[in-house]
Amino acid sequence: MPEMRIINQNITPDALPNFRNLGVALRIILIVNAAALFAVLPQAFSIQDLVQHMLSGSAYLQPALLVCLLLLYILNKFIAEMTYRRAALLILALVASVSWAVAQFAAVLFDPFAESSVFDSLRQMVLSMLVTSLVLAYFRLRAQSLSPALAAARMQALQARIRPHFLFNSINAVLGVVRSNPKQAEAALEDMADLFRMAMADNSELLTLKREVDLSSQYLALEQLRLGDRLKVDWQIQDMPQDALIPPLILQPLLENAVYHGIEPMHEGGEITIKLYRSGKEMHMEVRNPCQPRIKGHSGNKMALLNIRERLALKFDLEAQYNVDAAENYYHVHIQIPYLREESK
Amino acid sequence: MSVVELPLAVFIVDDEPPARNRLKDLLTDCAEQLPLVLVGEAANGVEALDKLSEVQADVVLVDIRMPQMDGIELAQHLNKLHKPPVIVFTTAYDSYAITAFEQRAIDYLLKPVRLGRLFEALTRARTAVPVRSEVLQELTPEPRKNISIHERGKILLLPIEKILYLRAELKYITVRTAEQEHLIEESLISLEKEFAARFVRIHRNCLVAKDEIEGFEKVAATDSSDAHWAVKLKGLDELLPISRRQQFIVKEFS
Repeated sequence: MPEMRIINQNITPDALPNFRNLGVALRIILIVNAAALFAVLPQAFSIQDLVQHMLSGSAYLQPALLVCLLLLYILNKFIAEMTYRRAALLILALVASVSWAVAQFAAVLFDPFAESSVFDSLRQMVLSMLVTSLVLAYFRLRAQSLSPALAAARMQALQARIRPHFLFNSINAVLGVVRSNPKQAEAALEDMADLFRMAMADNSELLTLKREVDLSSQYLALEQLRLGDRLKVDWQIQDMPQDALIPPLILQPLLENAVYHGIEPMHEGGEITIKLYRSGKEMHMEVRNPCQPRIKGHSGNKMALLNIRERLALKFDLEAQYNVDAAENYYHVHIQIPYLREESK
Repeated sequence: MSVVELPLAVFIVDDEPPARNRLKDLLTDCAEQLPLVLVGEAANGVEALDKLSEVQADVVLVDIRMPQMDGIELAQHLNKLHKPPVIVFTTAYDSYAITAFEQRAIDYLLKPVRLGRLFEALTRARTAVPVRSEVLQELTPEPRKNISIHERGKILLLPIEKILYLRAELKYITVRTAEQEHLIEESLISLEKEFAARFVRIHRNCLVAKDEIEGFEKVAATDSSDAHWAVKLKGLDELLPISRRQQFIVKEFS
């Protein structure tokens, strides 16, 4: 089953960030420059003086920073496979050598006859390593604060499965068809088993979009058994990239939300539209469901939606987008994530 | 005991077809020991009321969570029937309702329903007394979505948002919509409590819909009454007097 293969994406709390992510690069640039600003602040007497200090510092700082980012971009995959401790040491060594080299080069360029170039380079090196430690500490804290989201997602998926409403109604529906249509009852029980298995599995890895779509159809088949013609589903997935990788339990909870808050309270039911497509380097997922006006918000499942958001932020940082359009009579969620493929390692 | 017992007439209300199937299967099983007949089924409260004004049921099995009209509201309307049936609630899960049922000793069945429990509930139904409307009202935090009006042996459902005002007159309450007037037998005080979000009291005997207030007019003193304020409602020419005690609403709503 090739599409079932999963790739370890290291979202353990200790993990280093993905240095190829735009959001991560931006964060690093911001932190480093903010640190530089704090460093020159005590020495400055006026705004002009401050700008002057920053500028002269930048001549050294920015090239060193950019070279480091470039190297990290190139080495990203290599670093990702190391243990955290080793990777952190490697990064520190990398930054130290880059700043030493840049300082030496700058010394030759600006002031070839200066005596103190060795001391100056050493000073730059120590400062760079200090700032690097700061950046590493920041990413570690960020990963730690966001990573419970993953465990929580699993918990919530499990709770949603075991949510009395879903569990007892599904069992009741299966019992309702057991005598008249045993085959249908069998299929429904198999779908239930798969849904439970997914919710109980270790979900720290990405899985193929195809797999999530299969799971979602199984879920909808179960709901269809209960709701009959009231639940209509429009799958617009002809342009779906089969090999795309997405975090697990992103699409299915959205559909659960759509059924519970959208379709079920409506007597005549309605149609859920699911649209999956790729545009350039982005993967798009859209779910739209009708809902009754005047219903008191979508507060019920806010937790699940909030959790999807958190997990996307942890995984993709600024490269993921999550938009909700909650109108009077419909609810539309649009998720955009980078298009990742199963790579041949 | 000279009376020959007729078979128990049972009616099913549930929005999910497989859930109704399940109950039908179980009723077939019960029928072996308890004479009963299924007199009909409905997918929602409105349909149920419509069918139940045609056929007589002894027991109605009612799902609680249904779109359009929930089971508890349906029960309240069914109580207005000439011979109200015994209602047995069915629910997959609803902790709020279950605690309420327990406290008031109202019979309910948990889905998936067991044959034994259903049998028990049906056996008891012969002697059971319908649950009183006031008790049903306590069961739900939600006000009804409709008022049921009994006219010529039929139950007519009037959506709350169509009602412009409610006025107590002797034994009855006049329910006024843009088109018509109807009479119901309920208490103005409990209506005021239940629909506090929609209506405001302007007089000891009158509640008006807040959203339908068009304006206020001062009515000059006549022989029979002092000068007072009156409410003008959208689409009605009639002026409804405001009592002295309720005069503050003139400021509040204008």
